[in-house]
Amino acid sequence: MAEREYLISPWIRIWHWTNAALILVLGTTGISLHFADPNLPFVEFSLAVRVHNIAGVTLAAAYAFFVIANIVTGNWWQFVPKPPGIVPRLVAQARWYAFGIFRGDPHPHSPTKDEHFNVLQALTYWSVMYLLMPLIILSGLIYLYPQFAPDKMFGFDGLLPIAMLHYLSAAAVLLFMLSHIYLGTTGKTVGAMFKMMFTGWHEH
Amino acid sequence: MRAFHNTVLRFAACIAMMLLASFVPAAALAQEKTSALMTPELLEKVRRANNECFACHSEEGVKKPPRADLDITKLRPLAHDPKVFNGSNHGLMECTQCHGQGYTEFPHAADARESISACEECHAAKVLRIEKQLDASVHATRVKDKFTCSTCHDPHVDLIASTLIDPRKIVAQDNQHCLDCHDSELEFAKFAPDDEQTSTKKKRPDIDKIHEWLPNTRVHWQAVRCVECHTPATKTLSHEIVNKEKAERQCLTCHSASSSLTTRLYRHLAKEEQERLGFANSVILASSYVLGATRHPWLDRLIVGAFAAMLLGLLIHGLARIVARIVRRKKNHG
Ligand code: HEC
Ligand code: HEC
Ligand code: HEC
Ligand code: HEC
Ligand code: HEC
Ligand code: HEC
Ligand code: HEC
Repeated sequence: MAEREYLISPWIRIWHWTNAALILVLGTTGISLHFADPNLPFVEFSLAVRVHNIAGVTLAAAYAFFVIANIVTGNWWQFVPKPPGIVPRLVAQARWYAFGIFRGDPHPHSPTKDEHFNVLQALTYWSVMYLLMPLIILSGLIYLYPQFAPDKMFGFDGLLPIAMLHYLSAAAVLLFMLSHIYLGTTGKTVGAMFKMMFTGWHEH
Repeated sequence: MRAFHNTVLRFAACIAMMLLASFVPAAALAQEKTSALMTPELLEKVRRANNECFACHSEEGVKKPPRADLDITKLRPLAHDPKVFNGSNHGLMECTQCHGQGYTEFPHAADARESISACEECHAAKVLRIEKQLDASVHATRVKDKFTCSTCHDPHVDLIASTLIDPRKIVAQDNQHCLDCHDSELEFAKFAPDDEQTSTKKKRPDIDKIHEWLPNTRVHWQAVRCVECHTPATKTLSHEIVNKEKAERQCLTCHSASSSLTTRLYRHLAKEEQERLGFANSVILASSYVLGATRHPWLDRLIVGAFAAMLLGLLIHGLARIVARIVRRKKNHG
């Protein structure tokens, strides 16, 4: 087996870090907008609105690129957990995070050209990219053009469910981001996986 | 299958009605207050008297004039909608209470216009209070033609905010008064002062361009009134329109938990604040979701809690990894 393997193509790396930067910007301005309060000025409100709108539209474009590139390159297949033994491998992965990692056990899964992700990753990433992201982007775009929101719903303004959906899916994405960054440190060394996402090379 | 479908529909309709019902009483109550003084017989008499004027002064009248000798081109712009008038502030009054003797006969008296009652004849105290504010307002000092009460108020159409209640309707009515001039070259030119340098009429600044710094400008025009930002905050609405230097430009005045919307546009509803479903400023939610103002304190706490739990969990996991590694290294060496 090779010492080093080239796994991550440039388009994925460029998209990944663009996405990461946008989510950081959107998270910062979004939190500032939602918790707007004259006593705790964070990002100035109208600046936050402008930055959030621009970053949001860019994120939507980046997402469209991601979906199209996934179809064209066949990379979408990476997100599908492959039988046999999906459940046992899922359990093994979870047990490793819960116990094995402390004992210094080897990773239950080593990334290969055909399988970048362990089962847990594949399932999580699939849900985030194909359930959460469409939700947050769609609700965000409606929020940007409120005239497309339903007029009234159950005696409330139609923008309320849209705004709630946007807020809750944003919280979910940011919670995912925290765990994602942390789990990024569980490679061979603390920095190994971050390095891979920059260079594309995985060190076995 | 169909029966099940019907049950579901009926259930949904039931819930919708219940939710709707929670809004109706306010408007219904306000209606009663004015009509309490009015007996059905009296109302019938008023309507009959007014129909004499509407025979000519309505769409109907313009289409089918009761007399052959009418100048229709003159009559057409003087058409009023009986339904709108009946629903207005003065809807329970006879036309002739304001339009005195000269109008009961046709042709109307030549000097009839001079005898139209001024607002202060009936609203002396209000006019006294409001005129002081108008005199301090930008329109008093700068415009060419004098502003009177009916420059903004149409006594046949307007319905006061405390009766209108629905903020969207209040906004539509009140902004229309301002936009009739500020969004129309023709009207604006009638009042515009001469420009000092060119000594031509001052050009109307485009209303959307002036407020370009306000994102979703058009959305704001439908959700808040011009006077929210262009009048000083007072207990009741002030008529003093302040100049652009003093106008409100702080977003957080409205977009925060302590939103001034509840003491201005929503002041007539604010008494009914019930924190519906636990939302802060929930009276606003019936017509607008306002970023920063209409949030849910408990949901916010739950979410902040989730982030704290996540961070704490990751921190503990990370520390445990460090400790475990030190222990392992000691064991290997020892
Ligand atoms: C037979 C038709 C007719 C009837 C009835 C009628 N009007 Fe008129 N009115 C006109 C016409 C036509 C004009 C256009 C100007 C003119 O010829 O005086 C007019 C003009 C007016 C004006 C504008 C006058 C001005 O000087 O600018 C007012 C105000 C008015 N009418 C009020 C009333 C009121 C109030 C009544 C009911 C008491 C009434 N009219 C009944 C036909 C009528
Ligand atoms: C509360 C007082 C009041 C009542 C009630 C009232 N008017 Fe008037 N009306 C006025 C005033 C004030 C003006 C002058 C507006 C202006 O200066 O532009 C006016 C102007 C008019 C005009 C000419 C200008 C226009 O906008 O059409 C007509 C026609 C008219 N009224 C018809 C009526 C009719 C018909 C009724 C009854 C259904 C009625 N008014 C009831 C106060 C009243
Ligand atoms: C002939 C008397 C009369 C004249 C003139 C008159 N009004 Fe009124 N106005 C009334 C009456 C009566 C009511 C109804 C009060 C009620 O329903 O409680 C009323 C109600 C109102 C209301 C809403 C109720 C409130 O509490 O303030 C407003 C606003 C108003 N008028 C404005 C005007 C304006 C502006 C003018 C001048 C263009 C005017 N009125 C001229 C008699 C008059
Ligand atoms: C520059 C436009 C403008 C002019 C001029 C104006 N108003 Fe108003 N007025 C408004 C607006 C906007 C409101 C808010 C609507 C409401 O509260 O119903 C209002 C509200 C009112 C109200 C109800 C709220 C209150 O303060 O009691 C009365 C009564 C009233 N105006 C009377 C008058 C009278 C009388 C005059 C003339 C002396 C006048 N207005 C001139 C724009 C104007
Ligand atoms: C009858 C026409 C008319 C109506 C109605 C009207 N305005 Fe004006 N307004 C003018 C004119 C003309 C000027 C003078 C423009 C100038 O001097 O630059 C002006 C000036 C102003 C200014 C001052 C701008 C500055 O340079 O500081 C403000 C603010 C303003 N209007 C707001 C309002 C609001 C709010 C309303 C509604 C409550 C309103 N106007 C209704 C015609 C109107
Ligand atoms: C969110 C608050 C807000 C609202 C709502 C608002 N304005 Fe303004 N408006 C301002 C501020 C702040 C300025 C000063 C802008 C500047 O100096 O560039 C201004 C400026 C103006 C001017 C001065 C234009 C000039 O440069 O001569 C006019 C006229 C005006 N507004 C009219 C209106 C009218 C009419 C409406 C309702 C359709 C309205 N405003 C709604 C805050 C507001
Ligand atoms: C006078 C009160 C007021 C002021 C001042 C104000 N807004 Fe708003 N804003 C509103 C209301 C009410 C809505 C809700 C519109 C709707 O029904 O969709 C709104 C909506 C918005 C929206 C659309 C999202 C939402 O919450 O519905 C944005 C973005 C926004 N405002 C940004 C700003 C910015 C940036 C400023 C300062 C430059 C500002 N606003 C100043 C009252 C205000």
